[in-house]
Amino acid sequence: MFTYLLKRTVTLLLVFIGLAILIFIIARIVPGDPARIALGPLASAQQVEEMRQEMGLNDPFFVQLWNYLAGLVQGDLGKSLLTSRPVIDDILGALPATFELVLFTVFLQITLSIPLGVLAAVYRDSWVDNFTRIISLIGVVTPGFVLAIILQLLASYQFSFFPVTGRVDPGLNFEPDITRLILIDSLIKGRSDVFIDAFSHIFLPSIALAAAGIGQVMRITRSAMIEVSRFDFIEASRAYGIPERVVTFGYMLRIASVAPLTILGLEFASLIGNAFVVEFVFSWPGIASYGVRTILQKDLNAVIGVVLVSGIFFVFANLFIDILLGIIDPRHRIREGSSK
Amino acid sequence: MQENILEVRDLNISFSNYGKTSKVLRNVNLNVLRGERVSLIGQSGSGKTVTMRTIIGTLPTPPAIIESGEILYERKNLLALNRIERNKIKGSGISIILQDPLLSFNPVLTILRQMEDIIKYSDVRRGLSRGHKERKELICETLAKVQLFDNERILDSYPIMLSGGMRQRVLIGMALLNQPKLLIADEPGTALDVTTQKEILDLLNMLVANEGLSLLFITHNLGVVREMADRIYVMQSGKIVETNHRENIFNTPQDPYTISLMESVPPLYGKKVIDVKNSNPIPDEMIKISNLTKSFPVRTGFLNRITSENHAVKSINLSINDGDIFGIAGESGSGKTTIAKILVGLHQPSAGQIRINKSNLEQLVELKDYRKLIQIVYQNPGSSLNRKRTIAQILSVPLKFSDYTDKMIKDRTNELLNMVDLPISYSSMYPHELSGGQKQRVAIARALSLKPKIIVLDEPTSALDVLVQGTVIDLLQRLKKELGLTYIFISHDLSLMRNFCNKIAIMFKGEICESGETKDIFSNPKHLYTKALISSIPVISDLEESLKPKVTDEERSMVLQNTRKI
Repeated sequence: MFTYLLKRTVTLLLVFIGLAILIFIIARIVPGDPARIALGPLASAQQVEEMRQEMGLNDPFFVQLWNYLAGLVQGDLGKSLLTSRPVIDDILGALPATFELVLFTVFLQITLSIPLGVLAAVYRDSWVDNFTRIISLIGVVTPGFVLAIILQLLASYQFSFFPVTGRVDPGLNFEPDITRLILIDSLIKGRSDVFIDAFSHIFLPSIALAAAGIGQVMRITRSAMIEVSRFDFIEASRAYGIPERVVTFGYMLRIASVAPLTILGLEFASLIGNAFVVEFVFSWPGIASYGVRTILQKDLNAVIGVVLVSGIFFVFANLFIDILLGIIDPRHRIREGSSK
Repeated sequence: MQENILEVRDLNISFSNYGKTSKVLRNVNLNVLRGERVSLIGQSGSGKTVTMRTIIGTLPTPPAIIESGEILYERKNLLALNRIERNKIKGSGISIILQDPLLSFNPVLTILRQMEDIIKYSDVRRGLSRGHKERKELICETLAKVQLFDNERILDSYPIMLSGGMRQRVLIGMALLNQPKLLIADEPGTALDVTTQKEILDLLNMLVANEGLSLLFITHNLGVVREMADRIYVMQSGKIVETNHRENIFNTPQDPYTISLMESVPPLYGKKVIDVKNSNPIPDEMIKISNLTKSFPVRTGFLNRITSENHAVKSINLSINDGDIFGIAGESGSGKTTIAKILVGLHQPSAGQIRINKSNLEQLVELKDYRKLIQIVYQNPGSSLNRKRTIAQILSVPLKFSDYTDKMIKDRTNELLNMVDLPISYSSMYPHELSGGQKQRVAIARALSLKPKIIVLDEPTSALDVLVQGTVIDLLQRLKKELGLTYIFISHDLSLMRNFCNKIAIMFKGEICESGETKDIFSNPKHLYTKALISSIPVISDLEESLKPKVTDEERSMVLQNTRKI
């Protein structure tokens, strides 16, 4: 297990370093002078040149890269040209909201799609199966932002329980200072009113964000379950008198969950991408609005920061899933680990 | 008169698939007495597995419909019991051993956990509560019964970490955990090598005798039945066509189907054995293999470094003549398929030399012409043919790469279908529309398409039923005569080789331990491993049994010990 973990961690570290270098190169290739952007169109050529000197843009490329990576190790992502604050502070301020949204979305995806997929497999070719098939199709074909807008319209006209914008009612006067995730902090502090309010805020954006993944994961769970149900050992377990519930959830689902979990890990990338749009629609105070603004303004330091943080998200989600898979299916470990 | 432990009465079962119903069991009647060993024998699709599933209660309904009939276990009709009553019998009354020892395990749980689960849930049903320690004691006792003693290591292992024979033993142990009275075995050991299979069958026989079990043994292998049954049921397309005591079935079979089954088993000794000879009076040397070695790197550790080498084939010398049917026999992992792959140029040898038709293999492999000289037929036609292509397309692939015009391709594919006795109308069909034997004929036709001189046959009949196996062998013999081919026949089925090959090499752990004329090897085997191998083959008559080389159990385990994985 240890070798397996170490191998995975080192691979991901390499991926991360590669990402950092790549995004830095891309940022230097795109046209537009960051110094000029920072100073505005009215600045003189000399001012721009001084700014370039100060920002280190005149140094050789590799020196810039080195300084950048060295800063990265110390958690320094440079200054935002837009807000003139350290990028890291801006990102850390906006991150918890996005993190909460994504976590809740993944939670929704797992709790909805896997049980539905299992149901569809157990009652294969019945109306249950057909019903889930339709749901998953709708979920997969509807773009996240369309769903977001539809849900917002419905909420504003029909279901007034769900607010259409924001993260929590500011009137409740709640400071999430423990985990910085409102849903969790309100539970810790026993503020049920805040929890309900935050839940009603996060529900619609999460549904809009989760829909595509739910559809996919549901279908994959279904086919994985059906495949596993054909294995001899399932028949053997039944014949040895293991109860049906243990066979389905203890044996079959455990093996079948490998495929949907892998997909969930990959889905994470598109989840972050879609979160940008959904957050915009619902005015969610997350990293997305910051990201979009910085991209439009060519605030390169901030863009690099946002991409890197999204990358870390993705890399860690997949590390987590890899570890989970190693626990679920020991064959992953046995093949790759030290014990041959 | 002994009492019945199991009785199946007038069982009729049909399957409904998209509105169509087809009958799979017709009036099946069978019974097993207490302490009796009964065998149900039939080819694939005969309904023996459906019968087994109905008895153990894992038949999926739908699509299956139980139309009528009763299954009485200790005078209780299983089909009329409710789920709770039925579950009490599962595992503790009737238990099963399924065919494939790897697939029958849950791959992600340790052996200990799987065995504990079986005890735990049967305890729940019976209202017992045994702790972890008691359960483990019971498990160790059971493992001792199946002659496994390295308990700590086995119990902490996952199924893939054990060897095939060990898995099969553990599997038998699992079936015995809840002290069943009736054991149903669905072709146990068929996925194993003959020597291991022999040990497993001996073990089963011993257990049945010691524990007073009844055994219902389901198989397609007549040789195995002879060792495993007191009474036999022969099943054909959903019907029991003949039932009798073992001696009667083997000595005086009545039903034409039983007779044809008996005749399709290639004999090992006796009058019926065909002595194959090379048809060329003074044959030329076709293939010369000298000092051939192939090793595969073993990568381990953090950086995937090559830490050791696994020698699949070690310094092999062989000489194959023009017109030979040269058999390479051996058990799994002995290196016989590696040789096949090197010969057709799919692997590069690590050392040594191969001369084919007096040219060096290294010079040949790069050439297109080489493909015209040597071709291969694989074991499983289900996976060696592209499912998305028609038969005509499959056959034309090799032709397209060697300057045939469209017209010539069409003529050649028709000719090829003719050669393997398939109607030309098949050319527009897809592989899944054909039976296993027909698919293998297509695979043979494809190998012949470029008119090769040598064909490597990698277990071409082992995925087929015995009756079909016979027709494919006949076809191969005819083609050899007509086209003057040389065959390299790779197989683990020695009785088939006895009647098909004129020369044989026996492989053991990557080396050839014995080779020569087929007749000599069988009448006078020299190497102990050859003896052990031949003596493990299940045969269908007492005469053959008496002519087998005699190997004591100690000798057998001594020679086999080295081959076992830990």
